[in-house]
Amino acid sequence: MTRERLSYYLKRDSLLHRLNPLTKIILALSIILVSFISSVSWTSLALWLIVIVPLSFLGKVSREFFSSALRLILPAAGFIFIMQALFQPVGETVILQFWLLDITQESLLFAFRISTRIAVMISAFTLLLMTTHPSELMSDLTRRGLPGQFAYVVISSLQIIPQMQAKAQTIISAQRSRGLDTQSSFLRRVSGILPLVGPLVFGSLVEVEERAIAIEARGFTSTRPKTFLREIPDTSSDRAIRWVLIALVILTLIFRIWLS
Amino acid sequence: MAIVNLQNVTYKYPLTDVPVLQNINLQVEEGEFVAVIGPNGAGKSTLCYTLAGFVPHFFKGELTGSVEIAGVESHNSVLSEWVLNVGLAFQNPFNQISGAKYTVFEELAFGLENIGVPRDEMIRRVEDTMKLTGISDLADRSPYSLSGGQQQRVALTSILVMQPRVLVLDEPTSQMDPIGTREVFGAIHDMAERGMTVILVEHKVEWIAQFADRVIALKDGEILLDGKPSEVLTSPLLPPNGFGTSRYTSVARKAQEMGLWNGENLPVTLEEAVEGFRFSVAKEGISDTRSK
Repeated sequence: MTRERLSYYLKRDSLLHRLNPLTKIILALSIILVSFISSVSWTSLALWLIVIVPLSFLGKVSREFFSSALRLILPAAGFIFIMQALFQPVGETVILQFWLLDITQESLLFAFRISTRIAVMISAFTLLLMTTHPSELMSDLTRRGLPGQFAYVVISSLQIIPQMQAKAQTIISAQRSRGLDTQSSFLRRVSGILPLVGPLVFGSLVEVEERAIAIEARGFTSTRPKTFLREIPDTSSDRAIRWVLIALVILTLIFRIWLS
Repeated sequence: MAIVNLQNVTYKYPLTDVPVLQNINLQVEEGEFVAVIGPNGAGKSTLCYTLAGFVPHFFKGELTGSVEIAGVESHNSVLSEWVLNVGLAFQNPFNQISGAKYTVFEELAFGLENIGVPRDEMIRRVEDTMKLTGISDLADRSPYSLSGGQQQRVALTSILVMQPRVLVLDEPTSQMDPIGTREVFGAIHDMAERGMTVILVEHKVEWIAQFADRVIALKDGEILLDGKPSEVLTSPLLPPNGFGTSRYTSVARKAQEMGLWNGENLPVTLEEAVEGFRFSVAKEGISDTRSK
């Protein structure tokens, strides 16, 4: 069945939840950047273990985080690891031969680095989304100069897509009750999609016009300076954390250049 | 000086030849509660869009004549400024939910955020308006989890909270039960009492008879009748032109044809019908035959 909203946000009261959204974005980005810039192979795994995992406990979302790690992050990283290990044509030291493919020490190391980086990237964003309410994120960014239209598109898609799914379900039920076959052979089911597309797509286009009128009637394109209902605190410690994070990224960059 | 002033307004939608509105002349005073009735395709919604500035700023097409609200001419204004004077709520509540907000309270604040109302005033206005339309208990619900009637109230409240000088409503109670309709009409009536000008398209003539100061009957884009509810709603011109009338009017008209009605005007509401029949009975001296 359809979920009421399309969001990973988990309402908790934690230090991580209370951070300013921009601080959390910079936190996620700097973790990812450090993981990609560093030339040390185990950096990403170490980041995951000593930064991301503790952060998930700090944000009180560890249970959900591990569950999504198992369902999403591990399969994605695992798949990339296997593909890279098999098809990366680098290295001499053959460890294992598999049909026509050689798995070398170098290709294994390379695969390890790439897959842990991917894991860090997905994990960082998952944590960000789990601990930041989407409208808080967008209000904060709009206040900092992101165009209101952009924020509207992001937020409304999160809410309207589940509504469209529900509507598609209603149309399917309506058509099935009038004898449309949606459950037999594959070909029939494919042809059964066609009568769904018309009402759903054209219906949505009409809806878009009405919604445009409705939000316009509430001053959406007003050029006056906006105000915000949500008060999003941006403390001095938020600003300090952001500068420290940026400094860390720069340090990693210097370290990388100095090493090579 | 009328707050709404339409002079010879004629409008054609793009790519059409037949005008939807023809030579509309309409003056509405501040604080007046005007109801608009008309059969399907009479141009009621187009009239609403014209008053609210969406014709011609949103729909384009060809608009001649002059549309003036609060002393500003529509052609010389931009939509985002126009909507500060004129609020519009329409029929389908689902499409009036912005989709950008997660709770009803935030949804109601959406318009106020857009026009830059300070936060303290915003919260006060949202709370007050919710009380007025009776939806305070919905404040923390998701707008999408509400019933059609509740969504319609939220849509209406989201416009009321902007405090426009002129409120244009296109069938705002279509999905409500009688109790909800009564409450919403009460709220609209309150706003009119406080000096807000209300222009309301509605099919529920019994409600119009109770609350409106004036009724306009629209037919094929032209104003057919314009006057007091008791006169317009009982006019003999309505039934042949495809207008719906109140069942009490129909009954009394039938009685009049049969010589059983001696009231001065035909009734619109139940109370008027009862009163009229009582009067007729007394005058004719028709005795109650049931007791025999």
